[in-house]
Amino acid sequence: MSLLSMLSSSVLTAAPVPVADVHQAFDMGWAGLILWLPLLSLIACGCCAMMRCTSKLPAWITVGSLAGSFVTAMFLYLNYEPPGDVVNIVRWIDLSWVGGGFEANISFYIDSLSLLWILFVTGLGTLIAFYASEYMETDLGSGYCRFFAGVSVFLFAMSALVLADNLVLLYLGWEGVGFASYWLIGYYYTKPEAVAAAKKAFIVNRIGDLGLALAVYLCWTSFGTVQYDELVTVIESGDYARMTDDWSVAAIPWLLMLAAFGKSAQLPLYVWLPDAMEGPTPVSALIHAATMVTAGIYLLARMYPVFLLDGDHTALHVVAWVGGLTALLAATIGMAQYDIKRIMAYSTVSQLGYMFMGLGVLTTYGAAYHVFTHAFFKAALFLTCGAVMHGFAGQLDLRKLSGLRHMKGWKITSYAMLIGCLCLAGFPFTSGYFSKDAILAEAFVTHGPGFQWLGFMALFTAGLTAYYTFRVWFRVCAGPVSYEAGDDHHGDDHGHDDGHFHPHAPRFAMNSVMAIIAIGALVAAVPYFMDSGVKGGWIADMVNDSTASEGIPAVRAAADHAADHAHGSLFGYDPHVAMYWVSGGVGFIGIAIAAWLHLFRREDAVSLRRALLSRSATAWLPRAMERKWYVDEIYHALIRAPLWVGSHVLHGIDRILVDMVLVDGTAKLPRLLGRWVQPLTNGTVHASATAMAGGVALLVIVVLLILHLGVFA
Amino acid sequence: MSDLLHMTLASAMTEADLARFLVLSSLLFAVGLCGFLTRRNLIVMFLCTELMFQAAVIAFVAFGRWHWDFSGQVFVIFILTIAAAEAALALALVVLLHRRRNTLDADTWTELHE
Amino acid sequence: MMATLLIALPLLVGVLIAVSPQRVSRSLALAGTCGIFLLSIWAAVDFPGWGTTKWGLMVDAPWSDTSAFTFDLGADSVAMVLVLLTTFLMPLAVLGSWTAVTTRRREFFAWLMVLQAAMTGVFLARDLVLFYVCFEFTLVPMYFLIAIYGSTNRAKASLKFFVYTFTGSLLALAGFLYVGWAYAQEYGAWSFSIEALAAFARTGLSATEAGFVLLALMAGFAVKVPLFPVHTWLPLAHTEAPTAGSVILAGVLLKLGTYGLYRFVLPMVPAAVIEWTPLIGVLSIVGIIYAGLICWVQSDVKKLVAYSSVSHLGFCVLGLFALNPMGLQGSVLYMVNHGLSTGALFFLIGMMYERYHTRDMGSVGGLAKVMPVWSCFMVFFVLASVGLPGLNGFISEFLCLIGAFAGGAGGAYPGLLGPWYAAFAAIGMVIAAMYLLMMVGKIVFGQLREPADHHAHELLPTDLNAREIAVLVPLAIGCVVLGVAPWLATDAIAGSITETLSLYPEAVNAAHDLMVVAR
Repeated sequence: MSLLSMLSSSVLTAAPVPVADVHQAFDMGWAGLILWLPLLSLIACGCCAMMRCTSKLPAWITVGSLAGSFVTAMFLYLNYEPPGDVVNIVRWIDLSWVGGGFEANISFYIDSLSLLWILFVTGLGTLIAFYASEYMETDLGSGYCRFFAGVSVFLFAMSALVLADNLVLLYLGWEGVGFASYWLIGYYYTKPEAVAAAKKAFIVNRIGDLGLALAVYLCWTSFGTVQYDELVTVIESGDYARMTDDWSVAAIPWLLMLAAFGKSAQLPLYVWLPDAMEGPTPVSALIHAATMVTAGIYLLARMYPVFLLDGDHTALHVVAWVGGLTALLAATIGMAQYDIKRIMAYSTVSQLGYMFMGLGVLTTYGAAYHVFTHAFFKAALFLTCGAVMHGFAGQLDLRKLSGLRHMKGWKITSYAMLIGCLCLAGFPFTSGYFSKDAILAEAFVTHGPGFQWLGFMALFTAGLTAYYTFRVWFRVCAGPVSYEAGDDHHGDDHGHDDGHFHPHAPRFAMNSVMAIIAIGALVAAVPYFMDSGVKGGWIADMVNDSTASEGIPAVRAAADHAADHAHGSLFGYDPHVAMYWVSGGVGFIGIAIAAWLHLFRREDAVSLRRALLSRSATAWLPRAMERKWYVDEIYHALIRAPLWVGSHVLHGIDRILVDMVLVDGTAKLPRLLGRWVQPLTNGTVHASATAMAGGVALLVIVVLLILHLGVFA
Repeated sequence: MSDLLHMTLASAMTEADLARFLVLSSLLFAVGLCGFLTRRNLIVMFLCTELMFQAAVIAFVAFGRWHWDFSGQVFVIFILTIAAAEAALALALVVLLHRRRNTLDADTWTELHE
Repeated sequence: MMATLLIALPLLVGVLIAVSPQRVSRSLALAGTCGIFLLSIWAAVDFPGWGTTKWGLMVDAPWSDTSAFTFDLGADSVAMVLVLLTTFLMPLAVLGSWTAVTTRRREFFAWLMVLQAAMTGVFLARDLVLFYVCFEFTLVPMYFLIAIYGSTNRAKASLKFFVYTFTGSLLALAGFLYVGWAYAQEYGAWSFSIEALAAFARTGLSATEAGFVLLALMAGFAVKVPLFPVHTWLPLAHTEAPTAGSVILAGVLLKLGTYGLYRFVLPMVPAAVIEWTPLIGVLSIVGIIYAGLICWVQSDVKKLVAYSSVSHLGFCVLGLFALNPMGLQGSVLYMVNHGLSTGALFFLIGMMYERYHTRDMGSVGGLAKVMPVWSCFMVFFVLASVGLPGLNGFISEFLCLIGAFAGGAGGAYPGLLGPWYAAFAAIGMVIAAMYLLMMVGKIVFGQLREPADHHAHELLPTDLNAREIAVLVPLAIGCVVLGVAPWLATDAIAGSITETLSLYPEAVNAAHDLMVVAR
């Protein structure tokens, strides 16, 4: 029976059948609520916008539905039994009648990894939406509905990304969060910088998406499926080799890396994230710090088996080095910025670098744990920055703000920021301390090209992190009280009417959210020690149960993983214990320098900068750091400008060569011929008649020639 | 002339006879054509076209007789009828043109020129 | 009967419009097109071809006993989908030109109806002569639509449109006649039945002959698609055409080209197709990237969307010549999706033009401030066009690319292109984001810029009115439905595609063996 008769017979009977041929422990269709609730909230916000709603209704709808998503995710977690389930929700792309059966439905793959992610995504989403209900209130009646609709779109797409059971649905989420990010970065759409930043974010992400799309194609051609559970089965069976060229499987990790580096803002595609700070601050906290940018780590963790297929782990080594270099580069830029939101943005890029380093040095749980703690403490930092920006009419320059913690109504903001800073700086016994340590220690003990150096580099970066973090806190929250208002006047009713600017402190919604998230950032240390049957506790359990574990036996044997990952010692101690001391020490040094330059003797920072700038040998350093190592300028000169010129050249070619010369030229041939014989026809009847007679005579002669002389015979 | 009549009535028509008719026809046509091309008076030009018509008519009749097929004769009747109609039309046009430019010179009309 | 009605009714309504008073012409046209749309829905409900290889809407009507030419009509699922697209877009086109056409309104709507009859005829014809007559006849109404109702450069645009596509189709006609002549040589009698000719051409032509026939047909259809480098009539025609003209041009007329490829080139000369596919693939990819980059530097927003059609149709042709189920599915879906989203973009630009009388992105922009509803729709359809997953554009682009990707020598799947084709074509995704977001960034977002001499339209409000929203909503619904439930379409057209692919046994069977080994 040929394939085609098979195909046609299957087609004849192809009624839209619900997809239900996979194992399902119990009916979990309600899991779809995680997707549908944000979608409903999107529609509700759209209706509010149409009815020109001027109340906070859209915010409450969004908060409510996101809370519903969180509760659903919680139920999923409580119902979860390893190794997880596939839950079919809706039929989507289904070409199962095709030989080889391409199928990608809206189905969930619920395992511990996706649960870990969906829990903090929906949880933080709810809290930050609540915060935004107050933060965005100056836009009530104008952009308020649009903002919360964007947040709903984001949560919808992010949930799809995390819960997807196949790469195509993941791709939907992947592009969806990119679009939500475009929507929200460009929220202040009359600001040209915001529009440009939004466009840049989308396009840079699209470059990454290109990688993801090609990776999906390759997965399908190589493994014959895009569904995770089948993918794992095929990889375990090792039965895929005959279906494909040998290069194709090897290429998948590199394409996935391109995708992840785009979404998670790593070298060379990190440039969009700092610009994305043009969006409202809750967006920066939710999308550009806590959740969306970790999608890249999620993707690599999810597809980890593909990375381990290569026994040499070349791709993983590159991941580790790119992560480490990005961490260092972003930290050096962050040190020299004055805009506190930008500093946090570069810090996010830097911390994401750590997470990739964790993936690269084979500690997926370390990476995932850092994602988890970072989500809390960086959200806390952004939200407090947002509170400052909100209260001081858009002021973000750390030189123009000081002593916030002594001001009335700013206590929670200041101390929430302090907690965030402590975690980010890796202060002992905070959550960031443990999660960063998990990665640093592995960098020293895992075998890989120059991983020792990578470890030292990361350690140095940790010191820089501590410095720039506390630079912000000491400047903004500590020291004597003084401030200048920003130039953002949309809060005029609080401000300039009596000639003096009065900052307005955050109220209940913002304060409570900042407090909860700051406490969460502290508590995030606990899971590391829960259930501590294994090192890494609850987090490690969650990660190791999933595809992100290194535990696929066939693969482990192939990769000779045990030898690769032997727990060596660091300076003669258990690496994790040693690292507690070393990284703690480095953090202290960073904080101490920050305290010296930005708390006790702030004039020294100015004179240091002046001293560096005055010497020609060192002047380039602060300049380059402040100008972000000229990366944007380099990209512009190397990529955008040539492309722009090239496009104009192409346009010229299209108009002149293709259209005018080739097309119009061809069309002009008959006319030219006409011009040539035109003198014969001056329009008089006689000329026409003569021409006609001549023509007939010519024809007669031709006929005679043919007939009598056989000229053409 | 009586010779010609005799030949017409006789059953046989030689190739030479046919040739004579055709020569006459082509001479008539040539006269018409030359007249058409050289004269500028619209009415004379019209007369010349009529001459060319008659040349065709002669050829029709000759070939009809040669092939012993009366379609030739039938066509001649048609052509004469149409020529009459056409003459009416064309002379009307000439009058019209004359009224516009007050001359019968054909070369004053160059609207066909691009 | 139904098929005859679908062609005859528009003609009838057209004649009716032509003889009735000016003031009722647009209402008549709207009622007529809506009625025909409902009729086509009815036809679609009864249609036996969904998901099967059957044909429906069959009409057998010989011209005369002795003539080889017949008036046979019928549709397989792909043709039916395109008929539905046509009948769906027509009422919207009429509604969209409600106030835009102020002079010679009667002729405008009459020509639109004639155009609909011709387009439907192309999709429903089972006779080659009938197909060709309808195919060429679409040019006439379109010529008048552009030449009378277009903007400043309309004379040149309409002439170029007509002569260019007409010249191409003449070459196609030569190809068709050659096949017909060869058929007559073989069987001693002429036939113009598409089915019979295709069946004959597959076996009866030598390799050289098949190659030339392919080239002739490609010359006709590639101009219509349009494929690089024979695309230059399109930006001009689109820019100059009135809104409804642009919509129909992008929505349906371009699809005549791809439909021609699907209906004639693929089934008639499979061997030659296999031989020439790499070249066609390369041309599509060049078109995708080249036109995309040109879009990026346009300042005329309508020209930008016009060039984007060249880029988008590149994906469509690529999918078609991938010659596997995914590619063909994607390609046919692309025809529909491009009709919806690009049609909508032309409507939106028309609405802007009606208010500002400019299409230059330098002089108008930041319209989100004054036209929020319009801006919402604009962003929505741009996203559909960019290929945001969840909307229609994504599915078809994805399937076209994966189809092209999966094929190729040593590939895991039937088909003739390969990973490199798809990889290069996929760059078009990034470029599409670049130019479309550039457009949105300029005309929707940013500071409000209006032409200096701008004053409010006497009839239209600043933002869209209910009629204009009614034009856009059905298109938006179409985009969402095809985005979230693409299986509606993919299941429906599966039969026709399997049938077409069954003519490529080598490509299919080779891969089939491969799959069996692998499983």
